[in-house]
Amino acid sequence: MSMSNSKKVSLAVAATGMMSGVADAARKKAVSKLMAGIRDDDAKVRTEAWQSAGQVGAPAVKPLARVMANKELEVARAAKRGLWKIVRHAGRPGVGNMKRMVSGRLIELLSDEQPVPVRREVLWMLSEIGDRNAVKPIAALLSDRELREDARMVLQRIPNKAALAALRAGLKAAPDDFKLNIAQSLRQRGVKVRGLDCVKLIPTKKTNVKPL
Amino acid sequence: MKRTNKINRREFLAAAGAAVSVPYLVPSGVLAASGRTGANERLTMAHIGVGGMGGYHLRDMVARRNRGEVNIAAVCDADEKRLAGAVKTAGKGVEPYRDYRYILHRNDIDAVVIATPDHWHAVQMVHAAQCGKHVYVEKPACCTIEEGKAMVAAAKNNKVSVQVGSQGRSQPEAYMAHRYLVNGNIGHIDKVTCFHYNSPEDKNPVPDSDPPPELDWDLWLGPLRWRPYNQKYCHGVFRWIMESGGGQIRDRGAHVMSCAMWWMGADGTGPVTIEATGTSPTKGLWDSAVTMDVTYTFKNPDWVLTWNQHTGNAVPAEKRTGNEPGGKISRPDYGAVYHGSKGKFVHWGGDGGTWVEKKARQWQPPAGAKDVYKSPGHKEDWFNGIKTGAKTIMNIEAAVGVANLCVLGNLSYILGRKLEWDQAKQEIVGDRQAQRMMYRPQRHPYHL
Repeated sequence: MSMSNSKKVSLAVAATGMMSGVADAARKKAVSKLMAGIRDDDAKVRTEAWQSAGQVGAPAVKPLARVMANKELEVARAAKRGLWKIVRHAGRPGVGNMKRMVSGRLIELLSDEQPVPVRREVLWMLSEIGDRNAVKPIAALLSDRELREDARMVLQRIPNKAALAALRAGLKAAPDDFKLNIAQSLRQRGVKVRGLDCVKLIPTKKTNVKPL
Repeated sequence: MKRTNKINRREFLAAAGAAVSVPYLVPSGVLAASGRTGANERLTMAHIGVGGMGGYHLRDMVARRNRGEVNIAAVCDADEKRLAGAVKTAGKGVEPYRDYRYILHRNDIDAVVIATPDHWHAVQMVHAAQCGKHVYVEKPACCTIEEGKAMVAAAKNNKVSVQVGSQGRSQPEAYMAHRYLVNGNIGHIDKVTCFHYNSPEDKNPVPDSDPPPELDWDLWLGPLRWRPYNQKYCHGVFRWIMESGGGQIRDRGAHVMSCAMWWMGADGTGPVTIEATGTSPTKGLWDSAVTMDVTYTFKNPDWVLTWNQHTGNAVPAEKRTGNEPGGKISRPDYGAVYHGSKGKFVHWGGDGGTWVEKKARQWQPPAGAKDVYKSPGHKEDWFNGIKTGAKTIMNIEAAVGVANLCVLGNLSYILGRKLEWDQAKQEIVGDRQAQRMMYRPQRHPYHL
């Protein structure tokens, strides 16, 4: 007895759904296991957990970010190191899709719902794997007084035209006390910037120590 | 050696306007022909970073001043307590500064000794060179590949003499080892294995806090991205933070591997692959590898260099009377084994203490044997470079080559994968993330 095409399709969809459900369950289990390890009281267990985070990947990004603000210093640190492990694992050659997924989750963490230290760390993670999609949300932070210097440096490091364009636009919009910073990034990217001389060699900090 | 000053006029005028009034000595360069310090004239020095090794350098230079060899014009530190101590050590007529850039604008100063934390080395060396100062800078030369490139370019473009503080090359027994090895006493060497003990773990982590009142934390951090002060991230212990000190490999690796590159005739060459593994601290702020194994593979000629960081893996030190050129072995826990086709050779230390096996010390060169350069002392070699333009024994190109080994080893460890390196292009090959990490943007205005 032959099966109709529509039946074949519906079976395939069901099978795919089941497989997807299985995969989802496996992912959730991996994330739960990772997070339990990260929160463990034993330093060795925490270390084993964060070192294994790379394999868990994108689904663990947000749970780890939440724990980065934990009051327990070592638990927060383990979460941060786990997140970095994911970034380093996702950035390896030949895994473009994984990198995009991790980068996408990181971008979502740049919103102002997150604490500043978490967003600062995430910015630097994106400096290593962020692509064109990361540029606009990072550039938005050029107007955030607490994060603008990190955002500037991160855009400087992302080697694409979008990041360069964001720096150019950022210079036009920047308040006077931040223009020199962005000008420096543009110079590093090979752009000639007129009217904003480099001040790196100008001393500014005086000592209270007197000579004999 | 012609001294140049690449600061533009606007920068100079702004700086001069901001500078405090200081008593100016007669610059030695004024007395010398063609801008080169005369052979018999005293160099005028300034010290940037006066704690730790910086304190040693200052005391050493004071002794030289007392012998009439140099002048000391200025000392500088971001920590006021350390600075006050340095003023006492250096004595009358020495001006203290918090900001090193005041020193760079003083035309009476010929040369600077930089002994700040590693993350400052490149920026301060480049700035000093751009202001026409000769530089002695502590090892490791740089924290990133791009910093190293900038240092080499700055020294070349501004024609200044640079000595990097991997002083193992200048030790008397290092000369003996070098001479012994290049004359084929252990045959063709195809492997050098460096041994060293673990990096420490922070057993008592503390939360971030306000910096002590004497410390200018912003200036201490300098080029690094901003972070709050922590007692475990400051003087001395910065060594165990990857972004600053880089662990044992960037500390002692810059010594032991410096000897290897020198004795193997490998300055100017680099590995084709770098593969590192290691173990992480289980808690605390410090993040450099506790144990570590790195393999560097060189081609044409083919040889392998390894860095093996495991407490207890040292080759037992030979017994000595203390009358040997280097005296007794006081640091037997690190060094290297050279594996040749006709035997092995061991040295211990590799820094200010470099001790080599008896067979190398007692070897008498036969007629026609190759000789090698014998350093008159690490600072003397630098002074000679300043006065004659001769290349120093740990010149910036060689030092960056060694620092790159340390940097690449750490990068491979951090990323958890093997890296390929193109020595000619000074680039990591085929790994975009690693390529981005060759470079680290720096905080304004503390940048290259």
